[in-house]
Amino acid sequence: MSKLVADLAGGCLLLPLLVLVVAVVTGQDGHAIDLDAVLNGISGAHLLGTDALGRDVLARLSEGLQLSLLVGLTVVLFGSMVGISIGMLAGWTGGWVDALLMRVADIVLSFPGILLAIALAAMLGPGIDNLVMALVAVGWVGFARLSRSQVLSFKSVPFVEAAIANGSGVPYIAVRHLLPNIAAPLLVEASFGLAAVIIGEAGLSFLGVGVQSPEASLGTMIREGTSLMLVSPSLVVWPGLVLFSLVMAVNLLGDALRDKLDVRMDCK
Amino acid sequence: MFGRIVFIRILQAIPTLLGVATLVFFLLHLVPGDPVDALLGETAMAADREALRQALHLDQPILYQYGHYLSGLSTGDWGTSLVDHRPVLERIVERVPATAKLAFTSLLLAVLLALPLGYWAARHAGKSQDAAAMSFSLLGVSIPNFWLGPLLMLVFAVGLGWLPVSGMDQPGSMVLPAVTLGTALAAILSRMTRSSWLEAMSTDAVRTARAFGVSEHYIWWWHAARLAAVPVITMFALQLGAVLGGAVITETVFDWPGLGLLTIEAIQRRDYPLVQGCVLIIAAFYVLANLLADVLGLWLDPRQRYV
Repeated sequence: MSKLVADLAGGCLLLPLLVLVVAVVTGQDGHAIDLDAVLNGISGAHLLGTDALGRDVLARLSEGLQLSLLVGLTVVLFGSMVGISIGMLAGWTGGWVDALLMRVADIVLSFPGILLAIALAAMLGPGIDNLVMALVAVGWVGFARLSRSQVLSFKSVPFVEAAIANGSGVPYIAVRHLLPNIAAPLLVEASFGLAAVIIGEAGLSFLGVGVQSPEASLGTMIREGTSLMLVSPSLVVWPGLVLFSLVMAVNLLGDALRDKLDVRMDCK
Repeated sequence: MFGRIVFIRILQAIPTLLGVATLVFFLLHLVPGDPVDALLGETAMAADREALRQALHLDQPILYQYGHYLSGLSTGDWGTSLVDHRPVLERIVERVPATAKLAFTSLLLAVLLALPLGYWAARHAGKSQDAAAMSFSLLGVSIPNFWLGPLLMLVFAVGLGWLPVSGMDQPGSMVLPAVTLGTALAAILSRMTRSSWLEAMSTDAVRTARAFGVSEHYIWWWHAARLAAVPVITMFALQLGAVLGGAVITETVFDWPGLGLLTIEAIQRRDYPLVQGCVLIIAAFYVLANLLADVLGLWLDPRQRYV
């Protein structure tokens, strides 16, 4: 099963990779407006046609894809750093620190995932850094809860007790003894988190509270494409297809990692 | 015993709701710089600015603002819309039926699709039918609803002309939004149905029933089904809340005049009190749905009461 999943994931990655490579080869500028070539179909110069401002769709797809990955990886990186630190602190310290931090996590979890990100991004204003901040503010919680429960289960294992008895400092124990042991489920969480963040970024941009024009995001491309659906359906099909393949590949990667590392995800 | 635990759970939801309200209150203070500038622009007349500042109570100390906000919430005064100056609560209430209708239909659709599919996959676990059902589930989780919506529109409204493109006035206008919103729910529920049914089939209760010679059909539909129902029903209750998050995007795609669309409209017009109200009401529903899931789990599975 795992082999099949990995193959499927590879298959899904094909389209995004193709977009990135071919866009480099054709070398079109996704920002170059050409009002004489508005909504053109497939041609030698524009392999996937042009949008309402005559911009090359393929180049914009590639740009949007890079943005998705950049935002996704940045959010997962910061979200996991914040979340793991908070979760480990809560799990290790216990007592009121734990209670307080977990109440905060509960409150963030009291919002349907995307809604809080939408509200935060809307209030912070447009821009990629605000978008990243909004997604991190929502995304750290999963890592925090997971690493807390993991630390709790490792706290009283003999090798950790031995390290404490040895006089090792808490940061040392956290980095050398705890992190390597709780890394597997966190890695799985990170890969599913990446898929969620990629959809989240595109969703916020689709709603107009994320990346703003002329910057290309798969989400804004889908929104622009939706309004031109009657004239040029491919404008909504392509960005969605690329986004979907990417998310699918990342989800499959998560599945494969989970099987490979033999992680049970019911600890959440 | 059960009543007492439920009572405690309900009490525990109160601080959560208070926390949610607090977070929503501070949303307004996340607006960079002066919210009044953001709303009126820096060139506005001083008198207008002052009036707005007073309307939002921004001229008061923050603790006073917070107290005023909380007491307002409890007395039904959720503030006034900055755009049409009507009470926020009134604007929210008039949008609730549309969202409720959409949410109910998509949940129904999801259940009608997910239960048979999950059963079918579990019955053929490890075979190609299972793989097919779970591929559908993976597709459903991975496909963003802001793309699925336009795609369905493209095929069934624009291409085939079977259904209206958007709005909620024409017959059949419910179909595409409900499918869009219900797909992800169906995907999650079918996965859950499959795994909990399979898990139930590997319990001692089922093994014992088999040893007694109970028919396989009866075991699936009576012994295992009852065990499998607990997590599925709990998951369903959780989805009651999650569907509201999805509704924000789905309603925007289909111009469906519910709470989700109201939220986005309020954001676009920078109608901050209305944004706060919308976010608060959706989160409150979500908290209540989670509470319901919790209580249902306790009721159906007495073992959970001792954890």
